[in-house]
Amino acid sequence: MIKQWTMAMVRTLATALAIAALLFAVHALWLRYQVEPVTRDGKVVADIVPVATDVAGLVTQVCVHDNQTVQQGQVLLVIDPSRYSLALQQAQANVGNLRASLAQAVREDRRNRSMTNVVASEVIEQGQTKVEQLRMALAQAVAARDLAQLNLDRTVIRAPVSGQVANMTLQPGIYMTVGKAALALVDTPSLRVEGYFEETKLQRIHVGDAVSVHLMGVSGTLRGHVQSIASAIEDRERTGDVARLANVNPAFTWVRLAQRIPVRVVIDYVPAGIRLVPGQTATVVVHSPDAKQDLWSW
Amino acid sequence: MLEELHLFGVYLPAALVWAVIAGVSAHVLRGLFQRWTWFKLFGPAGVLELALFALLWLGLTVVADAFFNQGA
Repeated sequence: MIKQWTMAMVRTLATALAIAALLFAVHALWLRYQVEPVTRDGKVVADIVPVATDVAGLVTQVCVHDNQTVQQGQVLLVIDPSRYSLALQQAQANVGNLRASLAQAVREDRRNRSMTNVVASEVIEQGQTKVEQLRMALAQAVAARDLAQLNLDRTVIRAPVSGQVANMTLQPGIYMTVGKAALALVDTPSLRVEGYFEETKLQRIHVGDAVSVHLMGVSGTLRGHVQSIASAIEDRERTGDVARLANVNPAFTWVRLAQRIPVRVVIDYVPAGIRLVPGQTATVVVHSPDAKQDLWSW
Repeated sequence: MLEELHLFGVYLPAALVWAVIAGVSAHVLRGLFQRWTWFKLFGPAGVLELALFALLWLGLTVVADAFFNQGA
């Protein structure tokens, strides 16, 4: 009788021990995979500057090639300047013409006003009006000349930032319209990593936290720190403009997925030999100060 | 932390791989343990197998996180 009771007790204790071990392991796994701020959904990101032409015309010179590194202000391509040079000459001639007319009108006006006893008041007034009109016309012509000069200057397209040319297929002879993107420039100094973290993990991420980044298929760990967390993401359940009434989708789902919030990571250290290409897939691990102790605190 | 494994050009989540290994190992270990009499102390065999599975999964995760480099 006692032996049976003892066996039952041992069996109960052993089973309870197994259940306790199971619960401990499940809890630790839950923390490791669901709570710790880790995501495989990260990307290497850089600011891309689409370089567009400000004046229309034929491309006469392409000074860079695909993937070339350029410095800010470096000439990228040149639009045929002939039409804009002629427009400038025309504007300069117009300015000269109006200056001569104004000088003549000023002389006449001065002469008329010095002979008020022989010149009618009406003629004097007309002379003064003519001077004013010519002054305004000259100002207009000067502005037109400056605009022509600006257009001529804009036929030379320069790099707005230092970086690397991307997706460059432009060849001389292609006609560019105003505002049409000619090439993309990767702003290399802006290279960073963005981790798209589940919203449930955000509470463990703080600005300044140390971060490890692993690029897909690349051995070695990049180091960085959290610079900022996205201030907002789009509400996909709601449509409508600011000035209109809210239109909320009446969907009901049993299973909901956590949304992703971008976390911006500044790269502090890149191991030698690793090349960062915007768009690369990255695994981002945030070393939250309270993460490790929670794993074993249960 | 090891988050993914490269197997023949396919990148699998490490958690899934460890879970599969842990599941198979737990099943094999259960078969071995059932030959011993002390195994009967655990009452339902499924409980021990489940506990073994979870512990092995956790063990593999901790070891991989500590010793394997991501992307290797």
